[in-house]
Amino acid sequence: MSQYLFYILSLLTAFSAMMVVFSRKPVYSVLYMIFCFFTIAGHYILLNAQFLAAVHVIVYSGAIMVLFLYVIMMLNLNKESEPHKSNIAKTAAVVSGGLLLMVLVSVFKSADGLAINPAFDSQIGMVEVLGMVLYEKYLLPFEVSALLFLTAMIGATMLGKKEGGAQS
Amino acid sequence: MNILIAITAVGVLAMLSEILNFRRFLYPISLFVMLVALALTGMEWSHGVRYFNDMLYMDNYAVVFTGIMVVTTLLWFMMNENFLNGNPRQADFTAIISFALGGAMVMAGFSDLIMLFLGVEILSISMYVLAASNKSEPRSNEAGFKYFLMGAFASGFLLFGIALVYGATGSFNLREISEFVSENNTDMSAIFYGGVLMIAAGLAFKVAAAPFHFWAPDVYEGSPTPFTAFMSTVVKTAAFAAFLRLFSTCFSEVSTWWSPVLAIMSALSMLVGSIMALRQTSLKRLLAWSGVANAGYMLMAVVSLNEYSDTALVLYAAAYSIASIGIFTLVSNMTNAGNEEISSLHGFSKVNRFPALVITVLMFSIAGIPPLAGFFGKYAIFAGALKDGFVWLAVVAVLSSAISVFYYLKVVVAMFQPAGREAVQLEFNPGQSLVLGLVLVLVVVLGLVPALITTLI
Repeated sequence: MSQYLFYILSLLTAFSAMMVVFSRKPVYSVLYMIFCFFTIAGHYILLNAQFLAAVHVIVYSGAIMVLFLYVIMMLNLNKESEPHKSNIAKTAAVVSGGLLLMVLVSVFKSADGLAINPAFDSQIGMVEVLGMVLYEKYLLPFEVSALLFLTAMIGATMLGKKEGGAQS
Repeated sequence: MNILIAITAVGVLAMLSEILNFRRFLYPISLFVMLVALALTGMEWSHGVRYFNDMLYMDNYAVVFTGIMVVTTLLWFMMNENFLNGNPRQADFTAIISFALGGAMVMAGFSDLIMLFLGVEILSISMYVLAASNKSEPRSNEAGFKYFLMGAFASGFLLFGIALVYGATGSFNLREISEFVSENNTDMSAIFYGGVLMIAAGLAFKVAAAPFHFWAPDVYEGSPTPFTAFMSTVVKTAAFAAFLRLFSTCFSEVSTWWSPVLAIMSALSMLVGSIMALRQTSLKRLLAWSGVANAGYMLMAVVSLNEYSDTALVLYAAAYSIASIGIFTLVSNMTNAGNEEISSLHGFSKVNRFPALVITVLMFSIAGIPPLAGFFGKYAIFAGALKDGFVWLAVVAVLSSAISVFYYLKVVVAMFQPAGREAVQLEFNPGQSLVLGLVLVLVVVLGLVPALITTLI
């Protein structure tokens, strides 16, 4: 059952991810991206990581994507006026992207020897376990990420703020 | 750990200064706390403490790199006294710079891949913002945007690589990964190699090594000069500290597999950087390209992984950071005068004798002319490559170093030429003169006694 679910979800994820790139209108891209995020949240649930799934839906599908949509509508980007790149750039992109794909596909194809831990704890994705790990083992990264967000916040206000008689 | 607290305290104080209205004292306070951070760095030396479940490991390697970066930031503050004081955004700049230094310190001392990622992100996000901070200048906006888009992409690579390495080894911890690799180095899963490759690509972007260097010239040129100075010193040093730390502790057992890749990157960076730098007429852009070439030299230390790599990299990074800060003192004055062309330096030595002398010495040092610090840095790195059998790489490095002498001397020659029509009056304030004096002393002393810094590790 869950195997079929996995295949269906994977198919939908891959399809929507490709549609993000192929749709001509930016708004459609964003909508497909939201869809893609939901299917990824479905994968998390399949892996018994409910907390991660919930956070993923709230943060990505909710906050970030609404922001994206808002920006696209504000800037009125919903036109098919994307400038065409030069042929050299296109060829280079195709070649390097294809090489990367080749490397990754071959890597995952020969990915044997990854021992699946038989003592897998099915509760590992639960909020309680996660909290224990986060506040014990990973306390320092947790605190340091506060530094990261503080930096981003100061930066955002600085760039957003009007310059009052600025020298600069 | 105390270092990280002291460094971030500067940022918090900067934000408080806006609220509590002691902005006037912010500059001296930040200098003082940076000095405290330097003292704390010294106290951390040779203790080798592992903090918080081995998230941060302050071994001597981390301490020395942190020391270099704190000293560079101190010099940066001194050089930008006029830029910061009275600037309505002084508090923002001070806060972001100090947080960036915190991220850089995490990158030097990380012992867990999560910490590496956080450090890289703190440093990068600060730099995106600072690159775009001159809002009225379109080139600055372009620089910030370009840096952000490409940097976010590179961070994606880095994160993907970290995830793959985690998948293959089952741990984020450097010690556990290296144990796992040395136990199974004959039959590592292919996922592991993919991960190493992705991490290398992500980090190569951060250090601006070819072929991931395309953002560097535009970003360096478009950003406000003080932040370009920070980028080409602290950011580069931190990224290389992280690069060598990760590759020497975790991936050294499989080095035969990745060292050719990095060797080609290194050779490309040296050649591309040197050849493109030849054609530049703007000093800032020339320094950007020379930064690409220098990334190539420093990458050689990672390629030729042996017991001397870390001392060689420390010496080179110190010499490069110090010389760059000195040269950027000149560039920031040129920016203020509104002309960054090398030809505008004609007649410079007549008016500013001392700065001209110092810049000449720095250019000699960075070009690798004995007996200055830069020469010994280069010598150590080239010798390491030869010892490890990368003769062709050493030949490329010597060639590109010969080319680099040419363009560094172009600047020196311009300074000593008689004044032309477009000569610009440049003035160095006392803080900047002090920076130049300190930098001169450091470059000469490190050149005469390189053991001062190499024995610290």
